[in-house]
Amino acid sequence: MIFLAEVPPGTHPTVSVCSSWYCTFNYDSLISSAVAIVITLIVGFLVEFLIDYVRGLIRESVGEGGGFIVPLAMTIGFYILVANWLDFFPLAGPVHPANADLNQTLAMALVVIIVVQAYSLRVLGVGGYFRRFTKPFEMALPIRILFIPLNVIEEVVKPVTLSLRLFGNIFAGTLMVYLLGLLISYVASLVPTGLPGSAFGVVLTPTVEGLLILWKAFDIFFVGSIQAFIFTLLTIIYFGMAREGLEEEGHGTHPRPAPAAVETGG
Amino acid sequence: MNHAIVLAGALIAAGIALGGGAIGAAVGDGLAGNATIQGTARQPEAQARLQIIMFLIIGLVEAMYFINLALGFYFITAVASGVK
Repeated sequence: MIFLAEVPPGTHPTVSVCSSWYCTFNYDSLISSAVAIVITLIVGFLVEFLIDYVRGLIRESVGEGGGFIVPLAMTIGFYILVANWLDFFPLAGPVHPANADLNQTLAMALVVIIVVQAYSLRVLGVGGYFRRFTKPFEMALPIRILFIPLNVIEEVVKPVTLSLRLFGNIFAGTLMVYLLGLLISYVASLVPTGLPGSAFGVVLTPTVEGLLILWKAFDIFFVGSIQAFIFTLLTIIYFGMAREGLEEEGHGTHPRPAPAAVETGG
Repeated sequence: MNHAIVLAGALIAAGIALGGGAIGAAVGDGLAGNATIQGTARQPEAQARLQIIMFLIIGLVEAMYFINLALGFYFITAVASGVK
């Protein structure tokens, strides 16, 4: 049991490198402090790097007034990252990966889009908000009117793709692991039960299982991290797109921000 | 009988969808890699930044395929359990 210590508290196992008292170390404390240091460094590095990166992105694609996006984007990004990484552990019972449920990802995407629309209304005003739907501003007016349905579809599709992308990736990841696991028992059933067959199975099954673990680690730590990153990045880019038309109208005080590093995906 | 026909149709449809999705994802990955290689050859010092963007684009491209895979499986199970 986890709450039963093997030794009473206050006694430490020691290791001595020489015979004097100052060479004796309580090595259990050393080990636990090393673990704590490593975790602190990893978490601290991750948080610092990500906050710097997100701030830079927001400055690039939204401008100076976008400071309020940092908490939203970081919360969503870290939440998705941790939820995706948790998938690596074989969670028992009714617990399944949080983002392998469309309700979960759609809720996050809707929250993001609602805040984006509110930001757009606040920055552009009501007129500017509706003017944004006639988007290629440099075109003639009849052509811009033709573009209205396209822009409306674009706005509606944003939360759908944002949620489906995350859901599809995580759900397909669990699906692939499940199907590959079925493949193991299928391959094992193909092996004849004779003497050479069982020896074959003894070698084959751990190999395939090891490969499956490798695949799952790749799926969780690479795809999961990239998807968390993409969700955060698209959140910021949507905020950047929500202030389009501000500079053309001429009442914007900020200089036009540099174009975002990447275009948005469909 | 009806169930078997519908299930066979669903499986074939999912296979076609997955195949087409795989073609598209492969072409998209290739285009992203191609552009990254060209950019790196032209400007070797930009390699680190280009690689981040490349992985990002690959994530976006492959998301389409994974959505395909997930929804294909979803539809197969829905069809298989829904039609009697």
